[in-house]
Amino acid sequence: MFEFNLPLANIVLVTGFLLILSGLWAMFIHKNIIRMIIGFSLMDTGIHMIMVALGYITGGTAPIFDDAVDGMQMVDPVPSALVLTAIVIGLGVTAVMLSYAVKIHQAKNSLSIDDCAEQKW
Amino acid sequence: MVTELLSPLNIIIIALGAGFLLPLIHARSPRFAGQVMFASLLYFVIISAYHFYTLIGGAPAVEIITAGIQPPFAINLRFGLAEAFVLLAVNTAALFGARYMFDELREHASAMILFIVWIMGINGMVMTRDLFNLFIFVEITAVSSFVLVAMRANSIALSAGFKYVIAGTMASGFLLLGTMLLYYQTGTLNIDDLIIHQEMITGPFGTAALMLVLGAILVELKPFPANGWGLDVYQAAPAGIAALLSVGVSAAYLFALYKILPLLTSFLPVIAATGLLTFVASNFIGLRQSDPRRLLGYSSVGQLGLMVTALALLTKFSLTEYIPLVVGGLFISHFLAKAGLFWLAGIIKGSELGDWSQLRSKPVLIIAFLFLITALAGLPPFPTFWAKWQLVMSLMEYQQHGWVFFILLGSLLEVVYLFRWFGKAVSSQSDKALDISSSGNRQWLPVVLFVGLLLACGQVMASSFDLPVMALLPVYAGLLLMLIDGLGERLKQIASLLVIIAYSVYLIPSLDGLNWIFGLMLLPGSILILIASTYQQGTARPGFYPLFVMLVLSLGTLLAAETMLGFFLAWELMTVSSYLLVSLGKKATRPSLVYLVFSIAGAFLILFAFALIYAQTGSMQLSAIGQAGIVSNWPFILLLSGFFIKMGGLGVHVWLPDAYAECDDDFTAMMSSVVSKAGVFGLFVVGTQMTAQLNDMDTILTVVGWVGLIMALAGAIMAAMSEDIKHLLAYSSIGQLGYIVTTFAIANHTGWVAAMYLAVNHLLYKGLIFLAIAGVLYRVKTRYMYQMGGLIKNMPISFISVLIGIITISGVPPLLGFGGKWLLYNALLERGWYLQAGLAFFASAVAFLYLFKLIHTIFLGQRKSEHEHVKEAPLALLIPQITFMVLIMAFSMFPNILIQPLSDAVAPFMASTFTWEGYLLITENGYWNGFLVMNIVGVLFMAPAILLWLVSKKMKVQKVKQFNIVFAAERPFTPATTHYAYNFYAFYDKAIGFLTRPDATRFWNGVSEWGHTVGASLRRFYTGNGQTYAGLILFYIGVMYLAVRTL
Repeated sequence: MFEFNLPLANIVLVTGFLLILSGLWAMFIHKNIIRMIIGFSLMDTGIHMIMVALGYITGGTAPIFDDAVDGMQMVDPVPSALVLTAIVIGLGVTAVMLSYAVKIHQAKNSLSIDDCAEQKW
Repeated sequence: MVTELLSPLNIIIIALGAGFLLPLIHARSPRFAGQVMFASLLYFVIISAYHFYTLIGGAPAVEIITAGIQPPFAINLRFGLAEAFVLLAVNTAALFGARYMFDELREHASAMILFIVWIMGINGMVMTRDLFNLFIFVEITAVSSFVLVAMRANSIALSAGFKYVIAGTMASGFLLLGTMLLYYQTGTLNIDDLIIHQEMITGPFGTAALMLVLGAILVELKPFPANGWGLDVYQAAPAGIAALLSVGVSAAYLFALYKILPLLTSFLPVIAATGLLTFVASNFIGLRQSDPRRLLGYSSVGQLGLMVTALALLTKFSLTEYIPLVVGGLFISHFLAKAGLFWLAGIIKGSELGDWSQLRSKPVLIIAFLFLITALAGLPPFPTFWAKWQLVMSLMEYQQHGWVFFILLGSLLEVVYLFRWFGKAVSSQSDKALDISSSGNRQWLPVVLFVGLLLACGQVMASSFDLPVMALLPVYAGLLLMLIDGLGERLKQIASLLVIIAYSVYLIPSLDGLNWIFGLMLLPGSILILIASTYQQGTARPGFYPLFVMLVLSLGTLLAAETMLGFFLAWELMTVSSYLLVSLGKKATRPSLVYLVFSIAGAFLILFAFALIYAQTGSMQLSAIGQAGIVSNWPFILLLSGFFIKMGGLGVHVWLPDAYAECDDDFTAMMSSVVSKAGVFGLFVVGTQMTAQLNDMDTILTVVGWVGLIMALAGAIMAAMSEDIKHLLAYSSIGQLGYIVTTFAIANHTGWVAAMYLAVNHLLYKGLIFLAIAGVLYRVKTRYMYQMGGLIKNMPISFISVLIGIITISGVPPLLGFGGKWLLYNALLERGWYLQAGLAFFASAVAFLYLFKLIHTIFLGQRKSEHEHVKEAPLALLIPQITFMVLIMAFSMFPNILIQPLSDAVAPFMASTFTWEGYLLITENGYWNGFLVMNIVGVLFMAPAILLWLVSKKMKVQKVKQFNIVFAAERPFTPATTHYAYNFYAFYDKAIGFLTRPDATRFWNGVSEWGHTVGASLRRFYTGNGQTYAGLILFYIGVMYLAVRTL
């Protein structure tokens, strides 16, 4: 019997990679700084999804020690813990980027990355 | 209690605490907030210093456990010796950096918080042993940098900052992703645990994970070509921030790389290659750079590249015991010098290299600038010198010629642009003035302090090598004399003379054989020339005496050197000091740079040869040259080429005429008569060590012999065609050294005695003539001979000096030069080089042309009316001239007092073929009695002279006014060019003038042009576009991945 098996973790994993790629893509093709920042956010979220997916075990339980739970069936708690930190850091970085956008707009009256090329060679 | 107070973890606790408290305190009292910040930073320094001190005393590394749980189940940090070293440096720089930019920091509490958290991030990156924790600290450091870079919120800084943000976030994203993939494969985040279980990292997946982590760290170390954003940041950020970015943040990433390197065994060649590519490419591009801040950026990324290469290669060849010396040395040099230079950059107004001339208004700063540049360029006595020496030696042991070649190439390029910068700073005039009054000493004092630390580190590193105690004496003597550089000229001259005399008395008796003879030549020769140094009364010569003493003492150390390192060290010290002395000339900026570049290139050939010898024999002694010669001729050829450059050998002579012509007139005498002998000494060091092999090197020696004679001929022709008196003498030096090269290549007893004899000869007559000419130039203020004439009446003693000098050069009896020529032909015939003897004879004949021109156009003929009242040269110049003449006369009269010791010194290497009968010297081909010749010629000359005198007493001579016929016809527009001395040898010029066209100069200009073109094409990557830069980062990581997969 053919069984179409697509575990949840793999869906999240693939989506995560796709998000990273689309985020990077956005950072490359859009000249508008705000759009580039959105691209970064997408990429960051993609990385977070991958982190969660890597620790997930199909059909696993919450990682709480209990007599009723078999230790091997627990979801790995470490990535979940780390992803929280990563999300917070991502938030901080996004905030810095957005404040850059504000300042750049104030200084140049433009949000195009092409207007940020004063220095070269 | 003390241990708890000084726990490294306190750095993080205090930084976080201060971060929360500072805004509160700042609202109440900004002043107190500043003090809190400084107190915290000072505490960081104290903690790292304390642990550095205990760890160096052998204490075990401090392991910090968090959450009360052992690793790998909780994050742990480590504070070992390496960590303590890096963090002591970083925290010290941070303390001074905060003080440097306190005016800006104190405005906002947030700036202070960011600064302190920034430094904490760097500390954390260095200490942590957990990969995810590393990511956290990376982000803390990065976010603070992002904001601090743009703290002035000007347009350029914002642009650069945003590019930095893009690059930084991409890199840290990759780091996070890679960390998680590694965790997925191994189930651990602890770096030590990962290293233990690295076999679990497998397949393309594992490689990709490692590549992401490595790529993230490498990108932050700004590899070519993915580093455009970094350069923009260095250029645009406030100087204080750029300084800490270049030294502090980079240090943290370099340390992170060092930590994860054990995981990356299969990546090492690729890592080394990317580092070296960055080093060479940045230095090529540096050639084109005119903005000092951006130049510092290129230098920074280049240095980081070199450190990455060194780290990877030493790990690859399991030479990890040299990592502290090599990478540590490169690191600390880069660290102190780059911080100092960025700090200086913040003080200076304007964005041209020439604007650094503002530093001249504060001498201590221009000296500091020189030291920082020298340290970066890898010249002694600074740490990079020792690090590069060890790196080259270690790599060569594993036959890594290619790596060494490119490291040396990059280093040479670095020397070019760094010292071009220095040249512009000392020669150009900036329209802006240096203003350091508002900030007190807190902006420039740290620079001076860091220079002191550089010297101290250099000394510490020197002590890890097997060197005599006196090896660095030239540097310290120079530094000491620099302290009294503000005093009167006469006083400094006497002090310098005393130092050199004391040193000679100490050194010469300890030498023996040929070294003893060279000691007797070079040191007293220098003393004679130094006596002349005060001839320009009322002219201050800042820097002259310290450098002169350093030069003479380094020549002495060169003679005393027994190891290859000692020799190379003295050689480099001699090069640096003589370069600086040349650069003191008024228009010497470019000539001195060319001189330095050729000298360093020559030094690198010598270094390469030494490394080959060390690799073959495992010995650092100079005596190993002979053993290595058995295996291959390459060390011999390379060493010869290196010394050849120093002597101004044909083809690589292009530095010489201008360097001689443009340096101070009395120093030209030093360059020509004394410094050029260092090259001759080098030849003999090689020759005496390789006597056993010289018989088998017939082809090489024949080539060298011909090259020397062509040099002699070309030098003589070029001299004959010169209008500039100093050029004439410079070309004459090339020609005369050509004979020395040839006689050296003859490689028999007569040949070597002839070479030594010619060297002594050259020292005496070139010292004599150049000093006489210095007097003439001082009086007539022109270097063109056709603007002189008839000076015999005004300057009779100088005339006699030049006359004696040219008789000696020409090699006619009875003076010293005849003996030289006699020995030369004897040696050539003995060797069977008959054709060569013919050429030597022809070259000597050509030499008469320029010698005649020299004496005729200056002293004879018609005197210019403006020179009517010219006086004799100052006494300071005449005393050494008379001494030189006395020596020439004495040696001419009694040649055996010169030839006997020379023959004895050569005899241990080449069996003597001389027989003496009183004053009569007998060789295979003839005999010569110098005493008799002198007497006969004396009688022959004196008799007609007395006769003439008697006759002239009888005759009535009608005196004619000087110009009574010359102006009978129309007055020419350019009277000078109708002077008979102008284009003196026009008829010869038609026949052989093509030989004097500057083909070699054109060739080397082409090389320089090519270097600039390479730089220009390489920097095409840096379009200024943030997205291009991001694309290059992806491209870089992709190429690295492919390279690792395929290798």
